[in-house]
Amino acid sequence: MTGEELRRAVATHRWQHSLRLPDGIVTPGARSEAALAAEEDVLFGAFNLRGAHVLDAGAAEGHFTFAALRRGARRVLSTDHLAWTLPNAGGEAALRLAAGALGHSVETLAADPRQVTGSFHVTLAMGFYEQSANPIAALRALSAATTHLMLLETLQDALDDARPMMVAHTLDRAYGPGIEGWAPNPPLVMHMLLEMGFDRVLYRTHPEGVARGIYAALRPAADGRLLEGFAAPWINMTHPTPPA
Amino acid sequence: MTETTPRLSDEALMARVHALPWWHSITLRPGVVTPGGKSAHIMAEEEAAIFAPLALQGRSVLDIGAWNGGFSFAAKRRGAARVLATDSYIWKHAYWRGREGLELARAELGLDVETAIVDPPALTPEIGIFDVVMFLGVFYHLYDPLDVMERLRGVTRQLLIVETHQDALDDPRPGMVFYPGDVLLGDATNWWGPNPALMLRLLQRLGFRRIHYRDHPTLGRVRGIYAAFTDEAEPSLHAGFDANWTDLTAPGAVDALLVRT
Repeated sequence: MTGEELRRAVATHRWQHSLRLPDGIVTPGARSEAALAAEEDVLFGAFNLRGAHVLDAGAAEGHFTFAALRRGARRVLSTDHLAWTLPNAGGEAALRLAAGALGHSVETLAADPRQVTGSFHVTLAMGFYEQSANPIAALRALSAATTHLMLLETLQDALDDARPMMVAHTLDRAYGPGIEGWAPNPPLVMHMLLEMGFDRVLYRTHPEGVARGIYAALRPAADGRLLEGFAAPWINMTHPTPPA
Repeated sequence: MTETTPRLSDEALMARVHALPWWHSITLRPGVVTPGGKSAHIMAEEEAAIFAPLALQGRSVLDIGAWNGGFSFAAKRRGAARVLATDSYIWKHAYWRGREGLELARAELGLDVETAIVDPPALTPEIGIFDVVMFLGVFYHLYDPLDVMERLRGVTRQLLIVETHQDALDDPRPGMVFYPGDVLLGDATNWWGPNPALMLRLLQRLGFRRIHYRDHPTLGRVRGIYAAFTDEAEPSLHAGFDANWTDLTAPGAVDALLVRT
């Protein structure tokens, strides 16, 4: 595919991710390259992905899939649901176009997180609470597919409330209006992850602000040394550092 | 099916009653009441609150989480054509043995109430579609009540009645509180406390149009009762909902339930 052909192909898709492709082409995503780079640093900067099997759930057009492959992941399964299946969505084809241009071979699955199965060292669970009518079932399925580490990113709410809780939301997205979902607060995410068999949970706000949160949750099988790179502003929710 | 057993003396009946643990206080004979953890007074108040507005004659009723069957029997006594009492956890529980209590009471009362073991997360329309589905005191015991609410919609022809523990009553946002471990009342089977704004939203999402609400008759707003009607509901089924109930879909109705702290 020539640069001009690629440019024309890119123009036929809707993009959430701004992806830098060959020939100076950058996909016109609603999220900038800089914003994605900052989020990638938060998600992947603290540990080594080399050799890992990774599930990218909520992959959109694949920025984090490509980042995981670039960082040495042995296998990445990219999945998404609404951003790949709603009438105004074109994410899976866009991801495949970008993968081809970048020379990555990718494995994709258009599915509700509740239908995802398999076994992955690392799961990226991106934005599913706010786009699932049932995030309890979604988290249960994603947890079951995770053997070591889950990185969970979500819209949040009820930050003023110490009780673990989640609030129902309706959101409009570029690929569809009126998407029903939920926004949890950090105590809720921590307790749900603990109930689902994770034993260490870390949290930090999203680099773009407190409206979103990011969690790193470890299964008992995961070596604690994996946590060494998770420095402040990450906080360990389950094993806080005692005051000096 | 009604089992026929030789009539026992009051003393013999009480001996059988006392051999079982009970949650429902059920009057088996004048002066013979099962010693339920839920008192006869609360049972009577709940029965009146739930059933007074309902015309059950000729209708089919599914009771999810029937325990000792107190509300299944009430539905049958109030004219339901068919009542199916279901439970799983309590009926299989080695200590609570809820089904044995139900069967003892059913035999004594001579009421034609059917039974089936049904675990709510496994509920499917294979069990049948019922005019009225009762979901009393179960929502908050489920780790995933959202899935079960969808399943309930699939077996409800006209009316779903939900009675539940509530929380976040001071919060106008539609939300539910999670109870890890046994933090709610020392009971590790309690998971979620929704608020009325959330229940309205969940029920509307499931396609229920007319939704009536009332506080629990003795405990107040910490527990709520929701009557949610499908588009198929016959007018006679909601004609009895009086001033004790709020039309939750009316503007401002949910905000009026906020508990200011």
